[in-house]
Amino acid sequence: MLDRLAISMRASHVLAILLLAAALCLAALGAALDDSFYLRLGTEALIFAGLALSVDLLLGYSGALSLGQALYFGIGAYVSALTLMTVPSFWLAMAAAGLATLVAATIGGLIANRVRGVYFALITFGMAQVVAKVVYNTRELGASDGMIGIPVVQIQFGPFAISAGNPVGFFLIVLAIIMGLYGLSAYLLETPFGRVLTALKANERRVPFLGYSVWRARMAVYVFAGLVAGLSGALYPVLRGFVSPELMFFATSGNAVISVILGGVGTLIGAIYGAVLLVILKSIIGSWTEHHLIVIGLLFMLCVMFLPKGLVGFSRPWIERRIVRVPSQEVTASAVSPAIAKSRSAS
Amino acid sequence: MKPFGILAAASALLATTALQGAAFAQSGPIKVGVVTPLSGTYTPIGQQVRWGLELAAKDINAAGGIAGRQITLIFEDEEANPAVAVQKAEKLFQVEKVDFLTGTVNSGSTLAVAQLAERNNRLAATTVSFADSITGDKCSPNMFRVNARAEQQSVALAAWLEKEKPKSKVFYLGPDYEMGRSTVAAFKTNAEKSGAQSMGEVFAPLDSKDYTQYFGQIRAARPQVVYTSVAGNDTVRLLTQLQDFGMLSNLTVVGASGTVTSQNIGAIGAAAEGFATGVGYSTQIDTPANKKFVEAFRAANKADPDLYGADSYGLLFAYKASVEKADSTDTDKVRDALRGLTWKTPQGEKTIRAGDHQAMQPMYVVRVNKGKFDIVTSVPADKAIGPDACTRF
Repeated sequence: MLDRLAISMRASHVLAILLLAAALCLAALGAALDDSFYLRLGTEALIFAGLALSVDLLLGYSGALSLGQALYFGIGAYVSALTLMTVPSFWLAMAAAGLATLVAATIGGLIANRVRGVYFALITFGMAQVVAKVVYNTRELGASDGMIGIPVVQIQFGPFAISAGNPVGFFLIVLAIIMGLYGLSAYLLETPFGRVLTALKANERRVPFLGYSVWRARMAVYVFAGLVAGLSGALYPVLRGFVSPELMFFATSGNAVISVILGGVGTLIGAIYGAVLLVILKSIIGSWTEHHLIVIGLLFMLCVMFLPKGLVGFSRPWIERRIVRVPSQEVTASAVSPAIAKSRSAS
Repeated sequence: MKPFGILAAASALLATTALQGAAFAQSGPIKVGVVTPLSGTYTPIGQQVRWGLELAAKDINAAGGIAGRQITLIFEDEEANPAVAVQKAEKLFQVEKVDFLTGTVNSGSTLAVAQLAERNNRLAATTVSFADSITGDKCSPNMFRVNARAEQQSVALAAWLEKEKPKSKVFYLGPDYEMGRSTVAAFKTNAEKSGAQSMGEVFAPLDSKDYTQYFGQIRAARPQVVYTSVAGNDTVRLLTQLQDFGMLSNLTVVGASGTVTSQNIGAIGAAAEGFATGVGYSTQIDTPANKKFVEAFRAANKADPDLYGADSYGLLFAYKASVEKADSTDTDKVRDALRGLTWKTPQGEKTIRAGDHQAMQPMYVVRVNKGKFDIVTSVPADKAIGPDACTRF
């Protein structure tokens, strides 16, 4: 029998498959039309979706609001940039960025997890600001100007290689990595460890009575979220060819939090939908009027007022009801969408 | 180096797609993309860039356009963030197929957009960013700068100081962050070259409330001149505190061009009197061309032009001259035409140095007299330019 959590997670997977299908259609369309701007914009949206995913892991599952998740995104980006400028190897850059964020998130976690609630938000915010200022003033890291000159690398897959300058190819690679991170996060949350996290969010004081360490669970999810942010950040310089300290600023962290709230807190896929929507909205509205911040602010307020659970939180119960109706043994993540289609045509 | 081979291959790939666009756009209006801050802290600068470009486009279009083609300006908000600037610039290059790009304000955006222009095989120019690296060690064959860089400002100021107070003893007080330290370092080099003696330097945190803690050090050094590159409200506190402690008598205060501006000069009051700085533009430049420009600018925008407005206005005339000289909007031909180009602007004649794409222009030293800036001297273009530090082309 599926419990509530498993059902909502499956509903998220349905939406993930929809997103994947839409992204593949976009890639095919982009390739057919020889487009590069929209594909690269989509790639950037997916990269920021990775950052939003890491915010949702903390906010939606352990209940900790991080206002400084861009710290790990930025560390990933800078380490990846530095690696690419020395050795132009994509996988090496990803590995180096992953390792660096793992270390940074462990240190950051040891500091931030001493407190909770609003103090956690403030400490994460503070840590990001401190590191951003240090980078902003370090000439070896390009200081306020950031670093340019990151080469367009060839991404090796055994005997094959795809250039990061190929819009369709790189879009698909980023899509695979971000969806992979989503899948990994979803898997972790379904393990007993994930259940401890959920319990933690519901009632932190009862968790120790059940024999689990609160601190250990919070620490583990913090480090994992840092890693997700770092790996997403590592993709940024490969796409844009530069890094700048603005990537670590509050604006980046804040946008990730807005994405999560827009998409739906605690839905994982909502973070990705929210980030994609936000990047695309900003690009379209920004070209249309210089008062784009007002428009986006209003949309955000409307969303909070009328869709408090976000876009995915709003649409997911509808999918959940259909999953419950289908005999649960037959439901597997990959078979969900035809089942939905069938039940939709039946009703 | 290996990465450059891949880079070249990728830019060649991008170039082929870009060329199709360029060929398609050979008739019809010439599109100029403007990626500039229209929201956030730098909005006033973006506003001047916009006003300057709009006025220039109006003037050029009224006189028949560029080689008979009208100019269309397409604006995008860069939010003073390189990550946004690059995304918007890419949209202008690839979706709008602009022929030319300008408007970036912070140096990080300009550098990142320069690299993007290279990868898209288009040309771009900045009219605002003054970091030396843009036409120095990080110069790009696809980026031009028509405004004065930091070096030109300090050279002009140092030249004036040499004449006004030869072999003076100088103390430096900068804000403690990267830009503050580099402006102090740049002026120090130029001042020492022209015979000044450095008595010491101190860096105060940004947004300091109390500068008196440094006054003992300054007094002990017995300087005749204090150079500072603090800005905004920091200048207000520094200068008024210097005045309160009676340290302004027999002391000349000079500084970076952003230290005393129209925004804080009122708050500084009498303490600003005598402050001198090097700039590339002043509304007081006494030429018919400038008078006409200031008048037209005021009529159109109900505000005075500042250096950003003037430099942006001048840029489109450089682009017009180069396209007409090249008889094409093709990137390579226009680049060749821009190199070494001399054209007329309200600020006087400017010449783009072929070696680093930096515009050479006469520089002015302005000094506060009865609450407003007066031009005290000008430094000819070739004296203020400094060495060509670009090695890439």
